[in-house]
Amino acid sequence: MDTYTNIAWVIPLLPLAGFLVITALGRGFRAASVWVGSALSLASFVLSLLVLIERLKPNAVDYNNGFDWIRIGDYTLTIGFEVTNLTALMLVVVTLVGFLVNVYSAGYMKDDERITVFYGYVSLFSFSMLGLVLSDNMLSFYLFWELVGVCSFLLVGFWYARPAARAAAKKAFIVTRIGDAGLFLAILLLFWYMPEHSLSFTMIESVFDHQGGTITAGITTLIALLIFLGAVGKSGQFPLHVWLPDAMEGPTPISALIHAATMVAAGVFLVARTFDIFQASEAAMTTVAYVGAFTAIFAATIALAQNDMKRILAYSTISQLGFMMLALGLGSWTAGIFHLFTHAFFKALLFLGAGSVIHAVHTQNIQEMGGLGKSMRVTAWTFAIGALALSGIPPLSGFWSKDAILTVALEQNPLLFVVGLAAAFCTALYMTRLFVLVFLGKPKAAKASIAGAKESPAVMTAPLIALAALAVIAGFVETPWNGWFASWLSDEAGASHGSALAIVLSIAAGMLGIVSGWLLFGKRRERSGAGFAERMPGLVKLAENKYYIDEGYEAVFVKGLRGLGTALAAFDKYVIGGAVKLAGVCANAAGKLALRLQNGQVQTYSLAAVLGIVVIVIAIIGRRMLS
Amino acid sequence: MSFLQDIPILSILLLVPLLGFIVILCLPKHRAGWLKTAAVITTLIPLALSLWLYADYDNKHGGEGYDESAAWLQIPINKETATNADTEMVFSFQYALGLDGLSLPLLLLTGIVTAMAALAAFHVKKRWKAFFSWFLLLEFGMLGVFLARDVFLFFIFFEITLVATYFLIGIWGYYNKEKAANRFLIYNGLGSAIMLIAFVMLVNTAGFRIEETAAGAYQYIYSGSYADIAANMADPNAFVNLPAEATGGVNPFQMSDGMMWTVFILLLVAFGIKLPIFPFHTWMLKVHQEAPPSVVMIHSGVLLKMGAYGLIRFGLFLFPEQAREWAGVLAVLGVVNLLYGAILAFRQNEFKLVLAYSSISHMGIVLIGLAAFNEIGLQGAIFQLVSHGLISALLFLIVGSLYERTGTTELTELGGLARSMPFMSGVLLAAGLASLGLPGLSGFVGEFLSLLGLFESMRWVTAVAVLGIILTAVYVLRSVLKMTFGPQKETFAALKDARFIEALPMIVLLAFIVLLGCYPSALTDTVDFSVDGFMKLLLATRSGG
Repeated sequence: MDTYTNIAWVIPLLPLAGFLVITALGRGFRAASVWVGSALSLASFVLSLLVLIERLKPNAVDYNNGFDWIRIGDYTLTIGFEVTNLTALMLVVVTLVGFLVNVYSAGYMKDDERITVFYGYVSLFSFSMLGLVLSDNMLSFYLFWELVGVCSFLLVGFWYARPAARAAAKKAFIVTRIGDAGLFLAILLLFWYMPEHSLSFTMIESVFDHQGGTITAGITTLIALLIFLGAVGKSGQFPLHVWLPDAMEGPTPISALIHAATMVAAGVFLVARTFDIFQASEAAMTTVAYVGAFTAIFAATIALAQNDMKRILAYSTISQLGFMMLALGLGSWTAGIFHLFTHAFFKALLFLGAGSVIHAVHTQNIQEMGGLGKSMRVTAWTFAIGALALSGIPPLSGFWSKDAILTVALEQNPLLFVVGLAAAFCTALYMTRLFVLVFLGKPKAAKASIAGAKESPAVMTAPLIALAALAVIAGFVETPWNGWFASWLSDEAGASHGSALAIVLSIAAGMLGIVSGWLLFGKRRERSGAGFAERMPGLVKLAENKYYIDEGYEAVFVKGLRGLGTALAAFDKYVIGGAVKLAGVCANAAGKLALRLQNGQVQTYSLAAVLGIVVIVIAIIGRRMLS
Repeated sequence: MSFLQDIPILSILLLVPLLGFIVILCLPKHRAGWLKTAAVITTLIPLALSLWLYADYDNKHGGEGYDESAAWLQIPINKETATNADTEMVFSFQYALGLDGLSLPLLLLTGIVTAMAALAAFHVKKRWKAFFSWFLLLEFGMLGVFLARDVFLFFIFFEITLVATYFLIGIWGYYNKEKAANRFLIYNGLGSAIMLIAFVMLVNTAGFRIEETAAGAYQYIYSGSYADIAANMADPNAFVNLPAEATGGVNPFQMSDGMMWTVFILLLVAFGIKLPIFPFHTWMLKVHQEAPPSVVMIHSGVLLKMGAYGLIRFGLFLFPEQAREWAGVLAVLGVVNLLYGAILAFRQNEFKLVLAYSSISHMGIVLIGLAAFNEIGLQGAIFQLVSHGLISALLFLIVGSLYERTGTTELTELGGLARSMPFMSGVLLAAGLASLGLPGLSGFVGEFLSLLGLFESMRWVTAVAVLGIILTAVYVLRSVLKMTFGPQKETFAALKDARFIEALPMIVLLAFIVLLGCYPSALTDTVDFSVDGFMKLLLATRSGG
C-alpha cells in the first residue's frame, strides 16, 4: 500500500549518513564529499517525491510512528514521525531546494579549502530540517528546531576568520534562542496541561479543536503567544528580525537554503502545525496577523534603501515571511503555506542568482554593479523571473500565493489589506531597483571583475534554470478558480473564492511598483536613485540604518547585561569575598586570643581549668534542678 | 551470572586504586613512564568494572544484589547511663558498601572522568610518583564516597578526597596554588565539620537499633548504617512493636521536629558548600583557576557532584518532609545560582573563570531539579550531575591542552585558534554547545527535565529560570567564539593540533555526551528504580502521616 510513506523516516537519515561519512573521511576527500552530499540529497528528494505522490491519492491515511525517548515513572517522552499532506509537501520543498543547493555549491564553493566541512554541515542541516518537518510532537520538533538553529549558526560562521561572520553567527544563535525560550515554556505548559501529558500534534488538534477542553482561555492564549515567540525568532519577524540580515555573512548557497527557503519558514510551519491552539485564541490570532503585516511593510521599506545585494534579499525574505504570518493570523493557514511553498522556489532562485553574480564580480554592493545582463545572460533571465514572481506579476507563482493572502485580508480586515498592498508595492519597487542597478546600464565602479564578468559554470546555472521553471509553474496548484491545493492540504473541501477586486489591486500594486522603480532608477540610471534620496533625506537615512533597531538593542540589552555583569562582579568580589575575608579575620583573631592563653604559665592553665570545672558543675546542677 | 554473586565486586572496585597506590609507591620515582602507565592501567580497572556493573544492573530490582558489609568498629558505651543494667550499649560502624540507581551512574562517571584525567596528566612535569599516588588515593576516596553505606565510612572517604585534592592543588597547581589549596581546605574543612555534627546527631537518634543477644538480653546499638538510619527515618514508629523491657518503656526514637530541621539545615549547608550553593561559591573559583588541568577535570567533574550526591542521599532521602517544605527555598537558590553564575560567566575574561562560574550556573539546575520534588525533576537533577561531570571534564581537558600550547587562557589574548587547531576547536565548540543545552547532547536533557519538573509546582520561578538558557548561550558563545573564531593571531599560527593521546580522552568524553544526549534512557532507566522507590515512599509517608 503506502510503501514509501511507511519508510519516510529514512528520508532524514540519508543526509545524516552523508554527514557522518563526510566527517569521517576528513578534509582530504574534497570531490567525494561533494558527490556523497549531492547523491544522498538526491536520494532523499526522490524518496520524498514518491511519498508525495502517494499522498496525492484521495483519502490517503496519515502515517505515524515513533519510539520512547525517556520514560520516567508514568511519564513518557517520545520522538515520533508523522506523514501528513503538509509534511509531505514540506519534505519535497526541503529536499528539492537542498539537492539544488548541493549541486550549485559544487561550483560556488569549489575553491574553498573547507568544502568538505561545508558539505558536512549542509548534510547535517538537511537531516535536522527533515526531522523537524516529520516530527509528530512538540518535543521532537523542538529537538530538531534547535539542531537546525545550530547548523544555521555553524554555516553563518563558516568563514570563521572574519570578525563579521563571528558576530553574525553569535547574533543568529542568541536572538533565535530568545524565541526558543518562549517555545520551551510553551512545551512545559502543554506538558502539564494536556491530557495524558501528550505533546503530539494530533492530540493538540483534538484538544483545541473542541474548545470545551480543560484548558482555560488564558492559558490557551499564553501557549499560543509563547509558540509564536519561537516562530518570531526563527522566521525573523519583528522585533526579533535583526539576526537574519546579518546572517548573510554565510556562504550564499546557505542563504538560499537556510535563510530563505527552509529554516526561516519553519516558524510559519510551526504556527501552521499548531494552528488549532491559535484558532482557539482570538488575541493570539490578532497578534500573529498584526505582527506579520507590520513586519511585511517594515522590512520592505528597509529593503528599499539597502545597497548590499544579499541584504536586500534578506529583508525581502523577512517581509515575505511577514506575509505568511499575516495569512496565518487571518485564519487561512493554507494561504500561508501556499506562499511558503512558492516563496521557497523563487527566493532560493534569487539568492542563488545573487550568488552567481557575487561569484563573478566579487562584490555585493549594487551601487558598484551594472550592465551584468549582457555578460551573464542565464543569471539575468532567471533572476528576472524570480524578481517578477516575487513582485507578484501574473502568471508567475508569487502572484497566486500573494493574491490568496490579499484576498483573505480584504475579506477579514481592510486595514491589513491596505498594509499588505503597500508592502506588495514596495516589494516590486525594491526588486526593480535591484534588477536595474545590477543587470542594466553600465558598471558604476571601475573594477575589472565587473566589466569582465563571466557567466557562472553550468553546475551553477542549471539549478537556476530548474528553480526558474518552478517559480513560473508552482503557483498553478491553486488559483482563484481552482482551490485544489488548499483542499488537499487541509483535507477539507475548500471553496475557492477569488475576489476580482483583490486581483486587480494586487496586480496594480505590482505593476505600479515596477513602473515607479523604472522611473526612479531606470531612467536616470547614472544617478542611481539619488533623486529620491535628495527629496526625502530623513526617511531614506532612517531606512538605510534599519530604523536604528540594532543600535537600540545594543544600547539596552547588550550594554544592560554588561552593566549588570559589572555590578554583580563587584558584588561577588567585595560583598561576598569581603564576607569571606571577614570570617577569616575573625577566625584569625580568635586564634590569636586562644594563642594568648597558651602562654606557658601553669597558673593560667590551672585557672582556666578551675573555671571550666565550675562551669560544668553549674551546668550539671542546673540541669538536675530543672528536671 | 550467579557464580559472580559471591565475589565482592564492589570491594574489588574500591580497593583497586588503593592497590595501584601501593604499586606506585614501590616504583622508582624517576621512571615517569612506568608511573604513568601504572596509574592509567589502575584507573581503567574501576572503569571497566563500573561499566560492567552498569550493564549488568537490573533496574527492576535496584541492584539489591550488591550489598557488601562487614562489622568494622564496635565501641562499647559506659553502661551506667543505660536505664536497664542488663543491656549492652555500643556504637557500631560498619564497612558497608551498596549500590543503587543514584550511586551507580556517579560511580561510572567517576570511573570515566578519572581514567580520562589520568590519560590527560601529561602536563605533570615534576614529582610524578607523588602526583600519581595522591591521584589514585583521590580516586579511592571518590569511589568510596559513592559506595559507602555507613555515615562514618562516608565521612572518612569524603575526607580522603579532601586531603588528596589539597596536595594535588598545592603542589602541582599554577602561580597561586598554595593560596588556592588553603582556601579549598579551609572552606571544605568547615563543610566537613558541619557534616560531622549532622552525622553524629543522626547516629545518636535515627541510628538507634535494639537487638536481642544470644543470652536473651538486649543490646542497644547506635549505628552509622545508612540502612538503619533510613529505615528509622522512614518509619519512626518501628519501636512501638518492641516489648517494653526492650525499649525501657518509651519509644527510643527521639528525633524531635526541631532536631530534624537542625540536621537537615546542617546537611544543606555542609553539602551546599561543596556543590557550591550561592553564596558559598568563592572557594571554587580559585581552585578552577589554579589547580592543574587533570585535577580540575576531577574537581569539576566529580568532586562537586559529591555535594549534590550527599544532598540527595542524606538531605532529600532522609528528610523528605523538610526538603519538601523548603522546596521553594531550594528553587530560588537554584535560580539564583543559575542566573548569577551565568551573568558573571559572561563578565569574565579568563576562560577558566568562565567555566568556574558556568559550573555554579549548572549546579543551579541541579537544585532546581531537586526542588521540583517529583520524579521528573529528580531525574533531571541526577542527569544534570552526570552530564555536567562529562562536559566540564571535557572542557578542562581542552583547557589543559590549550594552555600547554598558548601559555594563556585569557580570552583577550586568544583568537582564531580554529585555523591552527581545527580538531581541538571543534571539540571545544561541541563541548560548549553541550554546555548551553543543545538537544542531541547531554546538557539538554538534564536542563529540560529539571525545568519540566519544577514547572509543575512553581511556574513563575521556572519562567525566570528559562532566562538562564538564553544567558548560557550568550556566555558560552562569547567565550568559545572569542578563542576559536576571528582572525588568527600571528603567535599562534604554528601551534599543532591535538596529539593522539590528547584526542583519545576528548573523543571518549564527547562520545558519552552524545550517547546520553541521543539516548537518555541509558541513564534515566537506571536511575528510575531508586527515584521511583523514593517517590513512592514519600507518597506513602505523606498519606500515612
